[in-house]
Amino acid sequence: MNPTPSQVAALVLEATGGGESVHTAVVVDASDSSLVGRRWWVSGDRQGGTLGSAELDRVVARGLVGLFAGRGATAALSRNFVYEEKGGEATAAVYIEAHHPAPALVIVGAGHIAVPLSRLGAMLGLRVVVLDDREEYATEGRFPDAADLRVIDFRDPFAETPLARQDRVVLVTRGHRFDYECLVRVLRMPEAPCYIGMIGSRRRVRATHEKLLADGLGTSDLRRVRAPIGLDLGGQSPTEIALAIAAEIVMLGAGGTGTPLAEKERIVERFFAD
Amino acid sequence: MTDTEILTALTELREPAVLATVVATRGSTPRKVGARMLVGERGVVCGTVGGGCGEGEVVEAALELLQGGRPRTVRVDLLDEPTSWSPAVCGGTMDVFIERANC
Repeated sequence: MNPTPSQVAALVLEATGGGESVHTAVVVDASDSSLVGRRWWVSGDRQGGTLGSAELDRVVARGLVGLFAGRGATAALSRNFVYEEKGGEATAAVYIEAHHPAPALVIVGAGHIAVPLSRLGAMLGLRVVVLDDREEYATEGRFPDAADLRVIDFRDPFAETPLARQDRVVLVTRGHRFDYECLVRVLRMPEAPCYIGMIGSRRRVRATHEKLLADGLGTSDLRRVRAPIGLDLGGQSPTEIALAIAAEIVMLGAGGTGTPLAEKERIVERFFAD
Repeated sequence: MTDTEILTALTELREPAVLATVVATRGSTPRKVGARMLVGERGVVCGTVGGGCGEGEVVEAALELLQGGRPRTVRVDLLDEPTSWSPAVCGGTMDVFIERANC
């Protein structure tokens, strides 16, 4: 039986929830039209379904690594494949999705900025984790969208929160001393998260950087820290600041510049000059 | 709608539905490859492949497929004149694959 999209979706959710990646493929066009709609999936050493030809399954499986190289997040594409069938060449257009476990947004500090940032992070498809040493702040009532809430000790803040390369860390604790404790640990991780942001005024950030250098880190480490955190949106409220942080996370993940599109495109100046 | 949301919706369907997926685009299109939408007998259940009249064509084809037929690709043309104020002013075309989602 050809697995249905619903069946494959259930499998993808189960696998990614358990930390596994899954590739799913479906034939959308083929020289043998009976293959259209046939579906195959692979996750580690498990696989199921078929694209209608064992040889086509193999050709697609071999192509997966190269096709998705450098695409960290969930990605989708279509490609034409040529495969051997009954002594001749057959072709099939195959649509493939790569599903990965959702990257984590680890918010350290469960204060007023963390509340809207947790919501925005969940809306963006991130697995939100909130850490604080104050039990009364890291509550489900305040963070209904968080996948995980943990009461931590700032002497070892990530003891139970392993961080991976695709994760994002936002340091918004109640004191710069705590932000610093977290920051120095994150920077010393061999596989540090791709986004490390820390809140603070220019003066505070400068003081933090001076301390990092004194503690033996280099300027290349300082450059890895987005501080002060967020895009310059001008907002002041916790929600506005959370939006500026979320915008920076999206921008860096998607390779944007943060420039307003109207200024980038300059339609009036370019096409309607006086 | 995030990947997880559409996957969850797929697993929680209570009625026969069609999954529509943008599998290829040329030129400027509102959604990119991988955008998905679920269509039930009463219309769109969730997700979008771009909105506007392009999406209307896909919904119609999906409703037809609910009555029977084989999975297929619907080519949607978004090449109307920009000044026509039609919703399809993006300037591209997209291929949307439609198939039965749960049976």
